[in-house]
Amino acid sequence: MKKIFLALILALPSAAAAYDRGELAEFNDQYRNGQYEEALEGYKLIIAKEPANQWAWYNAGNALFRLNRIGPAVFNYARAFMLDPRSPDIRANLDFALRQTGQSLVPEGAPAALHYLYYLVSETELKASAILLFWLACLAGAAAFLLDGGRGGAAAGRVSLAAAGLLVFTAVWLGARQSSPFSSSGVVIKAGGTRMLSGPGEKFKTYASAPEGRLVRILDTGDEAYYEIGLQKEGIKGWALKTEIERL
Amino acid sequence: MRRSASAFAACALALLLAAPASALLSVTASTDRDSVEISGNLYLTVTVSGDSASVPEPKLPNMQSFNVYSSGRSQSISIINGKITTSVSFTYILSPRFLGLQTIPSITVSNGRENAATTEMQVTVTKAKQPSAQQRPQQPSRQQRQARGKTAGRGEQIFLKAETDKKTAYPGEQINISIKFYTSVPLSSNPQYVPPAFKNLISEDLPPVRNGETDIGGVRYAYSEIKAALFALNPGPAEIRSATVIAQVPSEEAIDPFDPNFFQKFMAISGQQGQSREFSTEPLSIDIKPLPAGAPPDFSGAVGNYTIAAVTDRPEARAGEAVNFSITITGSGNLKAVSAPKFPDLPDFKVFDTMSSLDVKKEGDLISGKKTFTYILVPRNEGKKTVPPIKFSFFEPRSGAYRELQTNPVTLQVEKGGQAAKSVNFNTGSGGAPVTASGSDIRYVSEKQGADALPFLAASVLALPYWTHAFPVVLLLLCFWLARMNRFKLANPLLFRFRKARSEASRDIDEAEALIKTNKPNEAVSVLYDSFMNYLSDKCGVKVSALTIRKAAGLVKSRFPAATDRSLEEICELWAALELRHFSPEAAGSEGASDLAKKYSLLLELLEKELR
Repeated sequence: MKKIFLALILALPSAAAAYDRGELAEFNDQYRNGQYEEALEGYKLIIAKEPANQWAWYNAGNALFRLNRIGPAVFNYARAFMLDPRSPDIRANLDFALRQTGQSLVPEGAPAALHYLYYLVSETELKASAILLFWLACLAGAAAFLLDGGRGGAAAGRVSLAAAGLLVFTAVWLGARQSSPFSSSGVVIKAGGTRMLSGPGEKFKTYASAPEGRLVRILDTGDEAYYEIGLQKEGIKGWALKTEIERL
Repeated sequence: MRRSASAFAACALALLLAAPASALLSVTASTDRDSVEISGNLYLTVTVSGDSASVPEPKLPNMQSFNVYSSGRSQSISIINGKITTSVSFTYILSPRFLGLQTIPSITVSNGRENAATTEMQVTVTKAKQPSAQQRPQQPSRQQRQARGKTAGRGEQIFLKAETDKKTAYPGEQINISIKFYTSVPLSSNPQYVPPAFKNLISEDLPPVRNGETDIGGVRYAYSEIKAALFALNPGPAEIRSATVIAQVPSEEAIDPFDPNFFQKFMAISGQQGQSREFSTEPLSIDIKPLPAGAPPDFSGAVGNYTIAAVTDRPEARAGEAVNFSITITGSGNLKAVSAPKFPDLPDFKVFDTMSSLDVKKEGDLISGKKTFTYILVPRNEGKKTVPPIKFSFFEPRSGAYRELQTNPVTLQVEKGGQAAKSVNFNTGSGGAPVTASGSDIRYVSEKQGADALPFLAASVLALPYWTHAFPVVLLLLCFWLARMNRFKLANPLLFRFRKARSEASRDIDEAEALIKTNKPNEAVSVLYDSFMNYLSDKCGVKVSALTIRKAAGLVKSRFPAATDRSLEEICELWAALELRHFSPEAAGSEGASDLAKKYSLLLELLEKELR
């Protein structure tokens, strides 16, 4: 049974590679030959088929970076980072792209090791872990009730409590990650930056601008055409066109 | 091993001995012509050659006969058999000041170890040819000039004016400044010019000095114009401080021709040198705008308008042979500030130091030219090797946008190298030099197929519909309820027996009826009898063995006050009938098992209403 489960787990990534394996090589060859637009289109196809494929996002970010579209490049790297924050390649390219726009992956003054731990697990993985721990806690609890009074019931009860404890820890971690720059945020993708208005409409005054590639906190999504965005570092907020901000 | 060590030592000794012989510094000078008009200009080219990548600038002697202006430099580097030779040509514009045979003194150059000097040169300065009547501008007569001079204020006869062609610019964008010295009166001697100081700007001369005449407010002025190209360093305010001209101005005292001492005064004036006066320009400010955001990643600060080309010195080479690979950036802008484009990693080549040469022109008051970056490539293996496109980005002030250029790929056919080629070595510095990062870039695209297991698994889990997560909760609650029920049941057995008495009795009746249908009335009666005993036992909370008719009736009456006498009678009657039929079937008479079952069933319905 264990072997079957392991085989299933190992087969998942290969099952995920639903696209033709030759396609990726072709897109990478296009990238190698400087045909970045063509390579980008290919990577987008993979993303459409597999939104959870971090390497498709990463490669698309590379192509965009080469095309000098720094905003979309930051967005793609950020998506890859959100899926797989442990990858050194993804971290390096995201940091590199952020530095082109005056930002950095590790905030100034923050210990790099602590930052690494903070992002050791992706938000998706944290949520999935929380769900699995929830299932484990419930099922083990049910077993404990079913085997009430027996030795098995006590063991199941301990497993349930441990899973519940881990679930609380995961929830706290997930809560702490809500203050991450990649949570409830977006990236300015418009070349030259986006204008920040004092209200959701052209009749309002432009009083700031956010440069291309800047990570912004999305505060309100209620309006049809505008996001209310915030720049944490500068402590300002305003309204920007949804077409100029790509939501992470 | 010993043999190779001795060979290395011999090579090193040979190199050391050869070094002084090859370390030759030389300088030559030439003019573009031997004679020049007094109103014309002469180009002097001083070429300094040396065996290192950089050579010193020549020291120009004090040339009284000429005004000297720098007009740029060009550099060329040649590498032959691994030996580097650098040649830099410095160009100067000479404006003659005196007629006749003039001498350009010896020009010296020194690199600290060696000195070199040119020979003296002679140039004939001739009178300016008279322009034809059509070409000559209409100049007012001396009388007219004097008359107009009188109309203009005395303080406006000489003035200095500075102006720039731009009030705002980007860092690195060319700004031309024109400083004009106007005079409507003859000066006693050549004026002395003190150039302005600059803040946040660097300057490049734009020779030669232009001379001419113009009318301003009806006054005819002779003017001398000095131009310079300025390049801002950083965004923010830039300032051009005052330029100054010190001139000997004739005395302003007018002589009355009817004065008795006219001749005395006239002789005194004509003998004096005049007054020394300073004329200064107003300081000028220029607003330097920051470069717009969105610079390409390989942008290194180049501003202007450029093209780029790459070429090797030959299309074929052997493995191990050195090939010169040159990247030439041509265009207008501050080429001195243009840095080498990032060179890509070439696994097929060894790449050695970069050398740059500069060729600056100043035609039409525009700083232009070309800058060449030369790399030495040594192919590692035979085959068709390609140097990929090299990117270069610059900011174009005219359009206010960044431009990104790249060279064409350069292909080199490499043949198998011989022994001689293998021994080629470029001494790029002392061995064991530390690795220094020359730039940074994004990492290469990933070849990995599909998502990794963990992120994919996580995404799959999150993709489950929300309602599925209610399942464990329902299961947990169900099990919890079951456990509670079980415990309650264990804690209250009589209560459960009381509640289940009716259902068990009904089941027994069904069983008895089934037995009757199979013609087993005695067994059916036994089932009914046991069932009735159990029913009363469950309702009364007393064991069957301790139950008698009287006791049962008493318990029913005491525990269930709602029980009627009729019910008690019915209980007693059924009990007696079942007991009789159960223990002595023959004496039971005609009452059948089926009737007993019906009676029991009716009694149950009655008792369920009363025994609550």
